[in-house]
Amino acid sequence: MIRVDNITKTFPGAERHAVDRVTFNVNEGNICVFAGPSGCGKTTILRMINRLIEPDEGEIFINGENARTMNPATLRRTIGYVIQQIGLLPHRTIEQNVAIVPGLLKWPRDKTRKRVLELLEMVGLDPGEVGRKYPHQLSGGQMQRVGVARAMAADPPIMLMDEPFGAVDPIVRVRLQDEFLHLQQAFKKTICFVTHDINEAIKMGDYLVILNAGRIIQMGTPIEVLTSPADAFVRDLLGDDRGVKILDLTRSGSLMEPANALPESPGRNGCTVQAVQPVKIALEMMMKKNADQVGVCEGETIVGILTWNGIKEHINRVSGDGS
Amino acid sequence: MDIFMDSLLRRAPGYLPEHLQLVIIPMAIAILISLPAGIIVTRPGYRRYAEKVMALFNTAQTIPPLAVIAIFFPFLGLGYGPAILALTIYALLPIARNTIAAISSVPEDVKEAARGMGMTPKEVLFHVELPLSVPVIMAGIKTSAVLTVSTAVLAALVGGKGMGAVIFAGINFFRPELILAGTIYIGMMAVILERLISLAEYMLVPAHIK
Amino acid sequence: MNFPGFILNNTGLVYEYTLNHIALVVTVLVLSLLLWTAVGLVISRYDRMAEAVIGLGNVVFCIPSISLFGLFMTVPGLGLGRRTATLVLVLYAMMPLVRSVYMGVKSVDPAVIDAGKGMGMTGLQVLFKIQVPMAWPMVFAGIRVAVVLITGIATMATFIGEKNLGRLIHQGITRGNADMIFAGAVIVSIIALLLDHIMGRIQRKIISPGLRFQAGEQ
Repeated sequence: MIRVDNITKTFPGAERHAVDRVTFNVNEGNICVFAGPSGCGKTTILRMINRLIEPDEGEIFINGENARTMNPATLRRTIGYVIQQIGLLPHRTIEQNVAIVPGLLKWPRDKTRKRVLELLEMVGLDPGEVGRKYPHQLSGGQMQRVGVARAMAADPPIMLMDEPFGAVDPIVRVRLQDEFLHLQQAFKKTICFVTHDINEAIKMGDYLVILNAGRIIQMGTPIEVLTSPADAFVRDLLGDDRGVKILDLTRSGSLMEPANALPESPGRNGCTVQAVQPVKIALEMMMKKNADQVGVCEGETIVGILTWNGIKEHINRVSGDGS
Repeated sequence: MDIFMDSLLRRAPGYLPEHLQLVIIPMAIAILISLPAGIIVTRPGYRRYAEKVMALFNTAQTIPPLAVIAIFFPFLGLGYGPAILALTIYALLPIARNTIAAISSVPEDVKEAARGMGMTPKEVLFHVELPLSVPVIMAGIKTSAVLTVSTAVLAALVGGKGMGAVIFAGINFFRPELILAGTIYIGMMAVILERLISLAEYMLVPAHIK
Repeated sequence: MNFPGFILNNTGLVYEYTLNHIALVVTVLVLSLLLWTAVGLVISRYDRMAEAVIGLGNVVFCIPSISLFGLFMTVPGLGLGRRTATLVLVLYAMMPLVRSVYMGVKSVDPAVIDAGKGMGMTGLQVLFKIQVPMAWPMVFAGIRVAVVLITGIATMATFIGEKNLGRLIHQGITRGNADMIFAGAVIVSIIALLLDHIMGRIQRKIISPGLRFQAGEQ
């Protein structure tokens, strides 16, 4: 869907490349997260995709078409864009803000209006309550929701999101992340997502691109990156609780021993988890009930058992030395 | 060209000291009145008057300079005195306005922090409010200086002499050379005064808010 | 003091001078708005030009109005009267108007502009859909300064032959007639306040309620 081929960018007067020979693909319907410390080039990469910045070298292909050959304004109207500062137009109402791109695309008025109401509801806002308000009358969380709705207005297949939930408090941020993932399950947009928060990266990403000083240090699925960090930089970025993070991404079903191999009936004391739930939940259950194993169910049927020792061995295996 | 050089070098310079007086004296009085007044009006107890004073000043600013110069002359007669009084009132407005605006716009949280560290109201004024207000107050003094230099030209109409005498002579006798010569000195005086005030500001303002 | 009496005894004269004054101010205002907002918008897109133009405005502003009137009246083709008066006053309006348009457009939050570009607005769309509407509060502040300024300085045009309220003040001085001076001064102030009030009304209509929190509503 998006193919970035060996792009390099140096800003005038800068000592080093802001982006240095970066190549990657983003598959259709995936969230690709760019993570790294500030100044690593992640925002620059994002802004080169919709040509707010032009790369010095290299090419970017959108749906197989070279971005350089497209009209920048036309290109941007087909790519949703969400930034941390949101950038709502303060002199326009919320409805008018969401209607900007449909307006630029000259949609008929009633189609735009219907779409705006639908979008506001979709992002969890009451159109009757906020539609006629101006941005400064909204809370930070509400504004971020409007920012997402505005970016999705013309139903763009691709979205670029630069720290889209960065300006709100942690509680609201988690809720916005959850709601967005929920929306994404339904809409399957192709998304490039920039964050400096590694936890957000692991949570949101189907695919991670870890950057430092303009270069790609590692690419892979979150579980791949967590289980085998490329170097000390990535290990530091992931933090000391790498093993626990892995448990959050591992399904209980994948670590269980099948039920038919067991001598006794598992799931005593109603101590069970669903196979699709992360191992972290099973661990929590064990600690609460002071048990050393839990039953793993698929629906009502017990299909296996997850033991304390099994989890410990897994952590040791995937995070190397067990530290 | 001869008339111009003659005006520039022989006739106009004689009026410079008088013009300077017409600027410096009103400015000095205006600063001495409007700074303390601005501070008083922004004290917590008097805060509600601040808006009214500002509204009054805004209205006063609509009186044309020609009228301000003329207003005192019927009572005080021709001469230096009514011109100085009128120019003082005119010079006062921008300084007082900026002083009030500057002090009222010092962020409440900064003052709160200062009080929280145990500063008395007086210490808050001298260590926080005034230092943070210096740039805006100085801007007001600059505006006032430039305005006064050019308004002082009108003093000639009420017998106050100054460079206005040269310029009005030029108008009455249709002599652009005289007007130009007088205007050049006025312009130079405005520029030099502005530079001097900037220098004063540079020495007064704490380095970290420059 | 009896300046209302003076006005009542000389209604014809006062009426003529007042109308002339308003006509001059309104003409200058219309011309200045057309000219200087256009210049302000143009220099907002060319930074190097901006410095020169704003510098020129500041220089004009430092020259005493009487000198400008006096110098321009000696220019062939201008002479005594309305044409010179209009030109000089338009020049005086340059500084507040060009500056406020330029600063208004330039002070728009870069994040909003970035969002606009990111959504696919062209350069002109960003200017007219984002920067101009967001600049209104500052532009109006400039317009209102200019209105008060022009109304006051217009009195000086009496020295180059304009028959307006400045003439009441000037003749009041030469005749030592306080009532005449006050009549002129008060009517000029009323015109200035009235025009300012009208501008305030228009401002409220034009500026989006979404910007009102920063428009310094009075």
